[in-house]
Amino acid sequence: MAGAITVCRKELADHLGSKRYIVLFALILVLSTLSAYQGAEYIKDNPQAGFIAVFSGARFGFSFTSLMVFFGPIIGLSLGFDAINKERTSGSLSMLLSQPIYRDSVINGKFLAGTAALSLLTVTTIGIMSGVAMSILGFGPTLDDASRIILFTLLTILYLAFWLALGLLYSTVTKKTSTSILMSVATWLFFSIVIAIIAALVANLLVPITMPRDTSGGNIAKILRSPEFRELLRRRFSIQMNIQRVSPAYLYNEAGASILGISGGRLGFIGPGGGRPFKSLELIEGLTASWPQITAIAAGLVICFVASYVLFLRLEIRPGG
Amino acid sequence: MPEPIIETYELTKYYGNVKAVDHLNLTVYEGEIFGFLGPNGAGKTTTLLMLMGLTVPTSGTATVGGYDIIKESREVRRIAGMLPEGAGYYEDLTARQNLDYIGQLNDIPESEREKRIDELLEAVGLTKWANTKVEKFSRGMKQRLGIAEVLIKKPKIAFFDEPTIGLDPQGTKEVRDLMTQLNKEHGLTIFLSSHLLYEVQQTCHRVGIIRGGRLVAADTIENLSKNIAEKGRMVIEFKLTEIRSDLIRELEAINGVTHIKRGEDNRLYVYMESDRSREVSETITKHGSIILLMKPKEHSLEEIFLKYYEREA
Ligand SMILES: Nc1ncnc2c1ncn2[C@@H]1O[C@H](COP(=O)(O)OP(=O)(O)OP(=O)(O)O)[C@@H](O)[C@H]1O
Ligand SMILES: [Mg+2]
Repeated sequence: MAGAITVCRKELADHLGSKRYIVLFALILVLSTLSAYQGAEYIKDNPQAGFIAVFSGARFGFSFTSLMVFFGPIIGLSLGFDAINKERTSGSLSMLLSQPIYRDSVINGKFLAGTAALSLLTVTTIGIMSGVAMSILGFGPTLDDASRIILFTLLTILYLAFWLALGLLYSTVTKKTSTSILMSVATWLFFSIVIAIIAALVANLLVPITMPRDTSGGNIAKILRSPEFRELLRRRFSIQMNIQRVSPAYLYNEAGASILGISGGRLGFIGPGGGRPFKSLELIEGLTASWPQITAIAAGLVICFVASYVLFLRLEIRPGG
Repeated sequence: MPEPIIETYELTKYYGNVKAVDHLNLTVYEGEIFGFLGPNGAGKTTTLLMLMGLTVPTSGTATVGGYDIIKESREVRRIAGMLPEGAGYYEDLTARQNLDYIGQLNDIPESEREKRIDELLEAVGLTKWANTKVEKFSRGMKQRLGIAEVLIKKPKIAFFDEPTIGLDPQGTKEVRDLMTQLNKEHGLTIFLSSHLLYEVQQTCHRVGIIRGGRLVAADTIENLSKNIAEKGRMVIEFKLTEIRSDLIRELEAINGVTHIKRGEDNRLYVYMESDRSREVSETITKHGSIILLMKPKEHSLEEIFLKYYEREA
């Protein structure tokens, strides 16, 4: 354990000083502060919205959650994708493992350090957002709001740690960082863009939109308002949603909405789907509603970490490859 | 009587069908510099990695400093240090930071750590570069940093895997001198893997020769050389004042002499199956020639080791 703490301290210092981390941190901080500012302005106009609206992005649809949906994978993966293979090729790993530590201290320490760096990023960002909002609004969160914010912070850390664990897995299974960075980018693109396209395609195949031929008399608007057509759209939407649930980002989005007490669909990155910020779910209800998603993300994290742990312990350590 | 400090028992490592190390039995004694010689791919690195617990043996085991390399591999790493083949460092960190990290991993308290780092940087000649990032280091400087990293734990045993590879003559000499000095002054047992014969001859008390994963010999260089000489033929080089053809004929008639070769400058090389140097020199004097020089032709190191490498091929 002592070994893991030493490794963790060194890795954390590396992260905090790395350009990669600093750039991503700054980016998230600037965008989040901006969204908090907008959120606070919205709350000023709509006092019934409540403090929580700071995080839900209000009418701009540009929220902390949507930022994390989009940037979360890249933040987590970027802290993990070269954790093992870089040291393997450089030869520092064989030097490290010649020290009196257990081999798992290395991977535990690296995972801990990554999680700590991600927690710092999350807590700082959410803290600053709350501070900005409070100074604009002149009032703070209620106890209920505060509990939601804390739970939401934990959810975000869990979600980012999942991506970190996936990156760690990539760095364990590949020998070259150029391969693992490629895998990371592919993963990011897949979950943030490709999966939505696939979902739409599948929905289109399964439930094609058929326009009745004999619309000579009736107008389009009437058809669009018809119950059959609405049912069609509902089915398509549910297919798309279920496919997108493969994506941890989507799960995070859903869980986040439930915890923050915002109902009403997904919070898109940008666009009108930004979610009406009315509190519909009580705290406990929200937590219960988000439980399946939270469990799924946690399971994904555990699977990725255990896989990289086991692989790392069996790794043939030879300098240079 | 020196105590054994490293003992391997039928130590074996297979990579698929490749026998990297094949039932190796080896003993290294406390306080010696042991040279581990062998051609490329002989299994030197694999042996070292197994002894330090970086690779798990397929079968067999070993003890290092009394600790079992499988069950107590962490204890082994506490008392033994290794400079692996192709060792690397944290390029973003300075020499001092690199050393400090290794020191922390060895649970050396901070004040003690700082003291040792200063001493070691001095010993390997990196004091001036203490606060320079390792990415700016030359190969030789990195190698010296590596040696410092091995020594920071004050090991009883140090494993060096081809430590002078890629170093210039000056750097090579420095590394060798440092090894000899550590051995003499601190009684450090050194296990040196190398295929540089001269290096081994200069520094090692005893050598083990490994080929195809098997130990073919383990002894002092002197004894190894003698063994080869006894098994092969003996050659004596003479330099005479004059050589007449009937002398050569008469020498060839001596029982045990196989043949004679003439060299330039009135030299003669006498090949014999057993030591006939007495008869040979008597015959020469009888013929009125004076012996200016007479010495057994030595087997070069290369010859000796090639013989061992080739054996049971
Ligand atoms: N990861 C691996 N997978 C398969 N075979 C391997 C692996 N590592 C080493 N070998 C094989 O094991 C044998 C011993 O290799 P080893 O590196 O121990 O030799 P060496 O004596 O250190 O050689 P060199 O002088 O070139 O450093 C070689 O035949 C090599 O091909
Ligand atoms: Mg080798």
